[in-house]
Amino acid sequence: MTSLLSAEGLTKSFNGTRVLDGVTFSVAPGEPVGLFGPNGSGKTTLVNILSGLLPPDAGTIRFDGKEITRLPIDARYRLGIARTFQIPHPYPALSVREAVAVAVAAGGRERPEGGGTGSGGEPPVEKLLARTGLFDQRFVPCALLSQGCLRRLEFARALACRPKLLILDEVFSALSAADEEELAALLRAANRDEGTAFLLVSHNPPLLKSLCRRILVLEEGRIARERRV
Amino acid sequence: MTPRWKGIPPGPWAAPFRGGWLAAGIGLLLLFPLSSPDAYLLDVFTTGFLLAAFAASWDVVGGVAGQITLGHALPFGVATYACALLTTLAGWPLPLACLAAVLLASAAGTGVGAVSAPLSGPFVALLTLSLAEIAHEAAAGNAFLSGPGGYAWGGEGGIPVALPWSDAPPFATYYAALCFLCLASYGMLRFSRSGAGLILRAVAGSPITAQASGIPIARFKRMAFTVGSAFAGAAGAGFAAHVGRATAADLSIELSFQAATFAAVGGRGTIVGPVVAALVLHVLFQGLSLPPAARVLLYAATLLVTLRFFPGGVAGTVRDAAARIRRRNGGRPARHAGGARREEGKR
Repeated sequence: MTSLLSAEGLTKSFNGTRVLDGVTFSVAPGEPVGLFGPNGSGKTTLVNILSGLLPPDAGTIRFDGKEITRLPIDARYRLGIARTFQIPHPYPALSVREAVAVAVAAGGRERPEGGGTGSGGEPPVEKLLARTGLFDQRFVPCALLSQGCLRRLEFARALACRPKLLILDEVFSALSAADEEELAALLRAANRDEGTAFLLVSHNPPLLKSLCRRILVLEEGRIARERRV
Repeated sequence: MTPRWKGIPPGPWAAPFRGGWLAAGIGLLLLFPLSSPDAYLLDVFTTGFLLAAFAASWDVVGGVAGQITLGHALPFGVATYACALLTTLAGWPLPLACLAAVLLASAAGTGVGAVSAPLSGPFVALLTLSLAEIAHEAAAGNAFLSGPGGYAWGGEGGIPVALPWSDAPPFATYYAALCFLCLASYGMLRFSRSGAGLILRAVAGSPITAQASGIPIARFKRMAFTVGSAFAGAAGAGFAAHVGRATAADLSIELSFQAATFAAVGGRGTIVGPVVAALVLHVLFQGLSLPPAARVLLYAATLLVTLRFFPGGVAGTVRDAAARIRRRNGGRPARHAGGARREEGKR
């Protein structure tokens, strides 16, 4: 099968310490993939390189047939690679609705001037807010959101570009069981209904097994093994 | 593909402005000359209007976009010098020179924005401060032009502006400056509440999230500098036309600090707050005919008190207090009530 994302020989060092050492793997279109590894194994560095926040020292990244190794994070988002952060950095002065509207505008989703309608007939911002369970809090400043709502907002922001690939960095950490279940359902729906592939970074093996078809294990900066679920 | 920010649905920042107080204030200012004030007081107000527009232009860059510039006098001074040089040396008519001055100031802002775009926080402040100081020193230390009659232009004495009038009546300049302030403030307010303004607020709030949401933040930072500098240039051109001379003080660090102080006191990112703060503080401190050193001390004291007790400035403090009261009463935060009202109106 043709790869949606392929990473080859990704290497990264910080102050002489090699954090990633020739990481090579691929993700097929619509494939749910998990990334597991102990603390300090290089998971977040790999996510940062894949999303364009950090450049690799060596190696190449191809997405949808295009070489994107040096493409910045905003350009990758517009191509269809969206990421969430382990620690959300919300816009303190913006409301939830505005935060999603910014991502919708930047992501280039179909929307006529004046905030018209998306393919489903609803304005895409409102649709996303409803889908992520944030509609009732759309006028609340992001700075006042709870941890669970911030994660939902991260999801809404990531889904705003109709991503082909979602990179989720510890998105389920520090959540209540109910919030975790709702976000897992949201992720499953995006994968099932829109064919969105995802790379889910987590410390929680049962969760990875329930959501992913394949789990990559990162140890000391290398893909040590790969397990099909 | 680039962000289609023009189509962002209007959000809380685009809420209909409660203009009753503003309209009352403008009305009072319109009537003020009828109370037969002396020419000095009218001049203080006229300068205050131009400084208020300049403070609001700082707010576009430093408040809305969060790029704390300490060199905002640069586009202001570029415009005053452009006006002086183009009218006196090149013989351009004043309106054309003013237009060119605004364009040049805007171009200077684009340049500053391009250089500072990769930087953040204190580094932006240091870079902008350095650039403005280089221009200030160059203007202050060099009497490099030779005017008609063989005397030197430039240096601390500055360069005269060739004005089409010999002695404009104070009422005319007062009303012209007030009109300019209203138009410029309206333009900046519209910009700050547009889709681009919303994206700039996002960039100011969390650059990393903005980038991860597909925003090319360097481009938007440049845009903030370009737009803010254009308005600063317009204020500078108006100032040059008012005082009839471009001097090195137009590029001074004091002017940049003054704009930042007005914005901090009035409420960063609100546009109207800095305008009101600039008018009140300038008229109060200048109207008391205090010596310059005392005025600087008063500005510094005002800034310290504001930063210590009202970090959101006057507008921010009032807005937050209103939001707290509404929340206590079970309503939505005041800042977001406009968005909610529009939403309900659509249904």
